[in-house]
Amino acid sequence: MKQHSILRIVTKLLIPLILLFALYVQFHGDFGPGGGFQAGVIVAAGLVLYALVFGLDTASEVIKEWVLMVLVPLGVLIYAGVGVASLLLGGNFLDYNVLAHDPVHGQHLGILLVELGVGVTVAAALTTIFFAFAGRGRRNPTGQRIAQVADLAQEPPR
Amino acid sequence: MMFEVAAVALFPAMFLALARAIAGPTVYDRVLAVNTFGTFTVLMIAVLGFMTDQKDFIDIALAYALINFIGTIAVLKFFAVGDFGYQQESKK
Repeated sequence: MKQHSILRIVTKLLIPLILLFALYVQFHGDFGPGGGFQAGVIVAAGLVLYALVFGLDTASEVIKEWVLMVLVPLGVLIYAGVGVASLLLGGNFLDYNVLAHDPVHGQHLGILLVELGVGVTVAAALTTIFFAFAGRGRRNPTGQRIAQVADLAQEPPR
Repeated sequence: MMFEVAAVALFPAMFLALARAIAGPTVYDRVLAVNTFGTFTVLMIAVLGFMTDQKDFIDIALAYALINFIGTIAVLKFFAVGDFGYQQESKK
C-alpha cells in the first residue's frame, strides 16, 4: 500500500467529488440530462475506482456484500412502493398526482422517489457485478479465499 | 467563430493521438495515446456544447472525463498485475 502515492492521493481527493457529481446528476435530473440510472452508474464508478486502487478486500470492507444484497431490492421496493402508495391513495399505479394535496407537488415527490429507487438499485447492482467479476476464481466452494492470480504469476507484481 | 476554430484545431491533435495508439510499440504508449484521445474527446464535447449554446454538454463532458480516468486505471492495473481485485497487503 506504500506504492503508487500519486494514484492513491488523487483517488482519495477525487472520490468525494465523484459522489457529489452523482448527487448533482440525481437531483438535477428533472431539469437537465441525468436521472436515477446515470447517478447510480456514477456512484458505482466511484466505488469501482476505490476497489481498483485500494484492492478488492479493502473495498468489500468499506461496503459489505450483505449491504449490497439489501440495497439492490430496496431500490425496487421504493419504486414499487410509490406505485402501491398511489394505488392506496385512490389513483392508478404510479399516478403521482394523488401523492400530495397539490398535483404539481405530487408529481415532484413521485418522480423524486422513483428516481431515488432507480439510483439505489443501479448503484448496488453495478457494484455487485464488478465485485463478482473482479473476485472471480478467488473463492473455493466453501467461501474461503484462495490465492490471488498475481501470487501465482511468474513475475512479481511491480 | 472562436469555438469553430478550436473545434477544427482539435482534429489534427486527435488524429495524431490515434496514430500513436495504432503505431505504439509498447502497450503503455497505446494506453497513454488512448487516454490523450479521451481528453481531446472531452474538449470536443465541451467545444460543441458552447458552439451550439447547450450548456448541458458540460455535464456530459464531466462524466466522460470520469469514465476516461477510471478506464485508464483499470487497463493499467490489468496489464500490471492481471487481476482487477489485486491488493498488495492481502488479508487472508
